Amino acid sequence: MEMTPTEYSLTRPSSLIAEVTHRCPLHCLYCSNPIELKRSDNELATEDWVRVFKQAAELGVLHLHLTGGEPLARPDLAQLIASGRAAGLYVNMITSGIGLTEKRLAELVEAGLEHIQLSFQDVEEASANHIAGTRAHAHKLALIPIIRKFPIALTLNLVIHRQNIDRLESFIQMAEQFAPERLEIAHVQYYGWALKNRELLMPTQDQVERSVVIVEAAKERLKGRIKLESVFPDYFGSYPKACVGGWGRQILLIDPIGQALPCHAAAVIPEMRFDTVRERSLAWIWRESAAFNRFRGDAWMSETCKTCPRKERDFGGCRCQAFQLTGDANAIDSVCTLSPDHTLMAQLRTKISEPLPIWRG
Amino acid sequence: MSEEVKSIGIDSTPRLMVGSRLHPTENLLLVPEGALQLSGPAKDILAMVDGKRTVSVIVDELLAQYAGAERHEIQQDVLALLGRMQQRGVIRG
Ligand SMILES: C[S@@+](CC[C@H](N)C(=O)[O-])C[C@H]1O[C@@H](n2cnc3c(N)ncnc32)[C@H](O)[C@@H]1O
Ligand code: SF4
Ligand code: SF4
Repeated sequence: MEMTPTEYSLTRPSSLIAEVTHRCPLHCLYCSNPIELKRSDNELATEDWVRVFKQAAELGVLHLHLTGGEPLARPDLAQLIASGRAAGLYVNMITSGIGLTEKRLAELVEAGLEHIQLSFQDVEEASANHIAGTRAHAHKLALIPIIRKFPIALTLNLVIHRQNIDRLESFIQMAEQFAPERLEIAHVQYYGWALKNRELLMPTQDQVERSVVIVEAAKERLKGRIKLESVFPDYFGSYPKACVGGWGRQILLIDPIGQALPCHAAAVIPEMRFDTVRERSLAWIWRESAAFNRFRGDAWMSETCKTCPRKERDFGGCRCQAFQLTGDANAIDSVCTLSPDHTLMAQLRTKISEPLPIWRG
Repeated sequence: MSEEVKSIGIDSTPRLMVGSRLHPTENLLLVPEGALQLSGPAKDILAMVDGKRTVSVIVDELLAQYAGAERHEIQQDVLALLGRMQQRGVIRG
């Protein structure tokens, strides 16, 4: 079925990802933030975010995800949460936990925080601190029982890669003791610093296969108690995923300086022009912004995708990855076996070496 | 389902998962990473799921709301809905 950009834009975005700052006390080797971080003196002000949250709710957004960088680095975080709730949004915060104390958390919950997603680097302390480039692990662990005192949902998140994937089972065992509502096991995605460190992070085929078995068993065992969600690693798949639920279909991301992106990595694609919430309303951006319309529909697709029934499910896969791997943002996602560049994936998978780590600045 | 999850009966006092709530206007249950579309009387039922009311109290109140309905039918519907939601982890027994 042919769908034009306008028809797509009639669907409403369900999530607003608010990167409220790029500042962060950690230096994760796998951080997906852009290498060129946005300077803090140019960050959106409190009142800009308040306006954006209101417009988001009017546009039909349900969930607000406060992230960054480290959202706790914003002194006005409680105000941001309160305004998100006042607008009618479900408010989640994604955090490293650095900067969180029981007192601060009480303020945030009082302001209306409903869900907190705490990310870990490993189950083993030395390795976790090495990956984070910061001694953060012990603090994160100590935070869990504090968070559990509050009536909010908790997700524990672990990004897995070659350096920590062999301890996945012990991580899950550690995590389940705290009975979080959700556990999120995400294979690293190669953007930002993760792309720089790809050779260090790329798991072996064997590691990936073992991780799938562990995750599936844990899902079954924890069913009804802890919702385990996992993202299968792209590089090992045969068909692409619907990246961000399809370009410009579900997600609206606002970066720290107010630019609206269809996906957190969209800026890697050349000639992208992002509109800013300083000048435009979210409704206008969702409908009209060239960045959002660029990969909606199928006009941009190769003939292979255009005539493929899977396009209704994967919407052509990931544009950022297609560009990063082939140099052409319109190319078939190389994860797809029908891509002429699919053999690239095999090469990247098998090239296992131990290069030096590059920590996020 | 894991053995540790007890199924919900008429004397249970089910509650919504922490961090989930009904959307103020739409027929949706908001959960940490998504929303469940609710149909029919599901929203009215869930509005009474508060960890205090037993299933049979919820059925009583629904009977008062939906005049003419059969008690056993309502009870069956309520238990079926709660069972499904429990499977998905959004209702705790
Ligand atoms: C960029 S972080 C910002 C929030 C906070 N600083 C934190 O780390 O939780 C947002 C989420 O993305 C995850 N993440 C970061 N880099 C990633 C990558 N390369 N692939 C997959 N997930 C990643 C983090 O674990 C975290 O859950
Ligand atoms: S992933 Fe690590 S470095 Fe990146 S923003 Fe989160 S805590 Fe900071
Ligand atoms: S050919 Fe295109 S639409 Fe079909 S599966 Fe591959 S990437 Fe998806």
